Amino acid sequence: MNCPLLFEQTDLLLDYTAGRLDSATAALLERHMESCARCAAFRTEQAVLWNALDAWEPEPVSLSFNRTLWQRIDAIAAEPWYRRLIDGFRFGAWKPALPLAAAVCVIAAGFVLDHANAPTTTNVAGASGVSITEVDQAEKALDDIQLLRQLDSASHPEAKNSKTM
Amino acid sequence: MWPRVNTVIGTSAVPDPDADLMLRVRDGDEDSFRVLLDKHRNSLVHFLYRMVQEQPVSEELAQEVFLRIYRSRASYEPTARFTTWMFRIATHLALNWLRDAKHERSQERLDEDRSSGMPARELPDRKLSVEQRMVYQARLQEVRDAIATLPEKQRAAVLMHKYEEMEYSQIAGVLEISESAVKSLLFRAYETLRARLAYMVTGGPR
Repeated sequence: MNCPLLFEQTDLLLDYTAGRLDSATAALLERHMESCARCAAFRTEQAVLWNALDAWEPEPVSLSFNRTLWQRIDAIAAEPWYRRLIDGFRFGAWKPALPLAAAVCVIAAGFVLDHANAPTTTNVAGASGVSITEVDQAEKALDDIQLLRQLDSASHPEAKNSKTM
Repeated sequence: MWPRVNTVIGTSAVPDPDADLMLRVRDGDEDSFRVLLDKHRNSLVHFLYRMVQEQPVSEELAQEVFLRIYRSRASYEPTARFTTWMFRIATHLALNWLRDAKHERSQERLDEDRSSGMPARELPDRKLSVEQRMVYQARLQEVRDAIATLPEKQRAAVLMHKYEEMEYSQIAGVLEISESAVKSLLFRAYETLRARLAYMVTGGPR
């Protein structure tokens, strides 16, 4: 039968085999494993794995590690100012300026939108100083003249015929 | 149902003296950087060595980590534990290196060295017999290979959990994933390793 510990709280078993549990919980778990073969088997296998991993000791770090690092740091200090500036931006020195840049962007966007929504009293004719209302009035006047001519020709058809003869 | 328990190792609420040292580095105190370097150099190189399994590369990457820390000192803010930040940089560099096409070529050379019988590491105990040494080397190589075949994030999670004794929350911070995702990664990784190294339970190589 599967124990829910193996699926829901494996970290508890891992912490137990790693010796990272407090003594009270470890004792509780040990009592559980006396009656749970699956968890006991997990503990055995994990302990063996733990020992196997312990055998893998890394190589000692080179004695020249610090010296080489400080040489590289000194080389950074000797770089020209523009190079340090570029590196500063590469490694995050721009981050404090981010709120300021965002504020400038917001103000600029607001300025542009404000001007885009302003009422336009002039258009193509604006260059000659003529307003839209004046153009509309002129068009209306021309329409009226044309309408009057049509009415006039309709009331004096003979005049129109004599012209065509 | 089992109660949620605290592990013996600390929690993220604990004050971080390393972050205090780094704040001093930010203010121009180079001695504090020396303290941080001496404190974390070995664990960082060892972590990187186990990640990339090449000593010169691990030291080169560790130097790059410390250089990046030094270069970004001016903008340092203690938003996370110092070691979380440091291991995040290290993990990114190691994963990038592992993914680099150059690595494939060096890995081929490494495999050639292994197949030619070159020992992976000298034994610490010189009293062992030749046979015991051979068994030890074989087992060690098996462990290295088992770790190396894990998917990259599983590998990083296991190394941080096993060798650096990091909490789940800190590993989550390094890998930038959730704590439950870390537990899932570790569960799968250890399952793979147990299956691969199962013969060590029964004794003797396969």
